[in-house]
Amino acid sequence: MLTCGVDIGSRTVKLVLFDGKKIVDSLVSLSGRAPQSQALELYQELLANHQLNQSDIAMTLATGYGRNYFELADRASSEIICHSAGVVHYFPNIHAIIDIGGQDSKVIQLGENGRVVGFVMNDRCAAGTGKFIEMVAQTLEFSVEQIALLALDGNGACEISSMCAVFAESEIISKLHDSTPVDVILRGVFRSVANRVVALGNKLSLTGPIAFTGGVAQNAGVIEAIKHRLNSETLFVPPKPQITGALGAAILAYRSAS
Amino acid sequence: MSESKKYCLETGNKNSALSYFESSISDEIQYVREQKSQGRGIVGFYCEFTPRDLILAAGAIPICLCGTSQNTISHAETVLPSNLCPLIKSSFGYSITGGCPLLNDADLLVAETTCDGKKKMYELLAKKRKMHVLELTQKVNEQRAFDLWLAEIAELKQVLEQTFDVEITDEKLTQAIVAMNKERSLILAVQALGKHKPSIISGLEIAKTRYRVAGFKQHLSKMTLLLEQANDRIKSGYQAAPFHAQRVLLTGCPTGHGSEKIIEIIEECGGIVVVQEACSGIKGVFENVDDSGDPLTAIARKHFNIPCSCMTPNKGREELLAQLSAEYRADVVIDLVWQACHTYNVESALIGEFVRQQLGLAYLKVETDYSDSDREQLKVRVQTLLELAQC
Repeated sequence: MLTCGVDIGSRTVKLVLFDGKKIVDSLVSLSGRAPQSQALELYQELLANHQLNQSDIAMTLATGYGRNYFELADRASSEIICHSAGVVHYFPNIHAIIDIGGQDSKVIQLGENGRVVGFVMNDRCAAGTGKFIEMVAQTLEFSVEQIALLALDGNGACEISSMCAVFAESEIISKLHDSTPVDVILRGVFRSVANRVVALGNKLSLTGPIAFTGGVAQNAGVIEAIKHRLNSETLFVPPKPQITGALGAAILAYRSAS
Repeated sequence: MSESKKYCLETGNKNSALSYFESSISDEIQYVREQKSQGRGIVGFYCEFTPRDLILAAGAIPICLCGTSQNTISHAETVLPSNLCPLIKSSFGYSITGGCPLLNDADLLVAETTCDGKKKMYELLAKKRKMHVLELTQKVNEQRAFDLWLAEIAELKQVLEQTFDVEITDEKLTQAIVAMNKERSLILAVQALGKHKPSIISGLEIAKTRYRVAGFKQHLSKMTLLLEQANDRIKSGYQAAPFHAQRVLLTGCPTGHGSEKIIEIIEECGGIVVVQEACSGIKGVFENVDDSGDPLTAIARKHFNIPCSCMTPNKGREELLAQLSAEYRADVVIDLVWQACHTYNVESALIGEFVRQQLGLAYLKVETDYSDSDREQLKVRVQTLLELAQC
């Protein structure tokens, strides 16, 4: 039996094909200006890649911002629940999940058997999200991938104290003018992201093994900053952190269909 | 997902009492204008602590003028700070735009010191309008706090007598109390329709029945009609939500026409709001005025007992939540906090603990304003809570 998880996020669409044990295939693309048709196209592509018909998929579960609008979904579920199911698939003993996506950051607290017992989300503000990091990369004229690597090389970090993405950008520009090295600025940016999300998580309880998911968990600079902030050597990051929500959706679909 | 579409609102039925209340503001504007032209006094107010009973006893019409529209907020922000409660901004915005005929017709505004933002906003309103502010004492268990509140109510009686050149006798007070008790009981009966399981009425439908002008007989007869029509729904097996829909007790700041965002989100996510522990729901009507003792003392006592977060300590809110969660068979509690409402915002830490530990129910606090910009983010939180509570 095969199931499909579709995560229609604010910045990217993610699809996972699941056979009950492992990921058969996964696809990711930008949401663009028509995220629903983007998701439909990706869905057809996934079927075509494996010579499947829609009827071969026992159940499709949608999650993410566009979850309630995806016409091929049998059911929709909140991304908080899907991310948890995806993380528990890799790390069954996780106590908390930090998830940073395109425009949300969340911290999820898990109890026995990976059950969600609490969650907090950022308020209506882009600071500390994937979109914010994209904006920083753009200001510095690098790609998102480049800034992650640049931050790993060197020591020291400047303070980025602004709570607003736009003001943080002006803070970065003033640092550039006073000739602060780019890697120092970037570590400052990533530490400010880490500080925000850990402060959010401290409203719950950030103890025990912690996982990090979402598109931003692909950024080694942010991973280092969160470890630094948590004063911990270990942060569990799934192999493809960006597709954790879609994987969880596919897993929940598999459980429902079984 | 598709199942919830079966449970849509009854629309387009002009004979339904619910349709009447959806557009009752135009009837209110016309009624107030007619009454004003016949010489009746018009009194606007901004809070459940202002006793409608006393205004009716003065022969005047009490009108709740709390702003519930996003549209006036940008006007208000030309004077007020943007980081302020939307209810205060929206209310003040109407005085700038002149867009509320009910406010324009008011001869007197009565306000209260329930929060600092409102208190200072009233000073701005008082530059243009005749205004009387009631000082609400807030130590709810102290006799001397009540005595001061009673003195404030007595002073309001004098202000009304002077403004409208009438004498408010004990007999008039008692008549007004009886009339308002009847009206509060009717509102409570409508709210109590939420007790049915499966639900026969949605939280949004009940919210739409709240109106502004008190003592308006047409409203009372429509509420009676609504109760009859609810019986028809029961007989026909009508369901406003599936039997297993999560039943939500909404607590905290009041909603209103145009600011029902959180109710819409809860019901779009498959939940059903069964009762509001808020001024827009049960808070002002769960208790009536005692019609046997000294009327002024009885009026003061009923209003002093309102378990608003401005009172300290506010144990009455916990008691009311315990009572309502049992009576309305709530599965989860959602606490609505309007941005910058400090008392409800801080009190949520106590309420969250009480709901989880004493009532054993799931709890979610939502801090937002009247704008639609965070609808999708709120939906994630609400949907997660409802999904988890269902497991």
